[in-house]
Amino acid sequence: MVNPLIFIHAICAELGLFAFLWVLVEMLNPTETRIARAQMAAVIGFAFLFFAWLVGGFYYVEIYGLHVKPLIKASDAKWVHSIVMEVKEHVFLFLPILATLTAALLYKYDGELLENRDARISIVLIAGLIFLLGFSIAGMGALISSGYRLALMAGMT
Amino acid sequence: MNSKALTRAAAVTIALIAIATIGSELSATFKQLLSSIGGHHWIGKSVLSVVFFSLLYLVFSKVSDHRFALRDTGLLIGTVIISGLAILIFYVLHA
Repeated sequence: MVNPLIFIHAICAELGLFAFLWVLVEMLNPTETRIARAQMAAVIGFAFLFFAWLVGGFYYVEIYGLHVKPLIKASDAKWVHSIVMEVKEHVFLFLPILATLTAALLYKYDGELLENRDARISIVLIAGLIFLLGFSIAGMGALISSGYRLALMAGMT
Repeated sequence: MNSKALTRAAAVTIALIAIATIGSELSATFKQLLSSIGGHHWIGKSVLSVVFFSLLYLVFSKVSDHRFALRDTGLLIGTVIISGLAILIFYVLHA
């Protein structure tokens, strides 16, 4: 059975990523109302990513390392841990930093974003980067789950 | 808030995460040091990323002017891409 923490981690992370897609869309053609919505979306996105960080970290240290990693490493798909998981767990650490920066820029420039092209484009680019990077990481998560299932199907316990 | 300083702090922190990731695989002593922070090397890197981001912001806000430009964002995005690729290539080569 899938550990519920994985479900909570994935859902929170994906909601956080969609919040930053929302920021991107609002900032493509900003008005004062859209800037206010983008600020709210960035705070929500940061909160979801932060919670996903805590839940995923707890699962990784307390459960994955003890019960899942040994099975994957003993299977034919050991690269799933030694490449995919290693990349995922470290690249994930970029996301809270980028999310903090996006939210901070939105609040710093606020109504000025209607005129300040550099700040507006920066927010669009960083929010897009969060979304793309985050969904690459989500894909890695799916690969890790497949690796675990493969190990279980091979009869490893 | 100094946007340029915050962007630069983000870029340097992300580069440091990549360096710490690769460094901890190459040096058992360094990995042990990171583990001593929170019981696991990944927790150590997580804590250090927050600490460095905060400290670097304070440092850069003393030395950076406030003229934020798209070039600063370009530098950040370049750092994210290079750091991510460095981590990926390292683990592919050392798997």
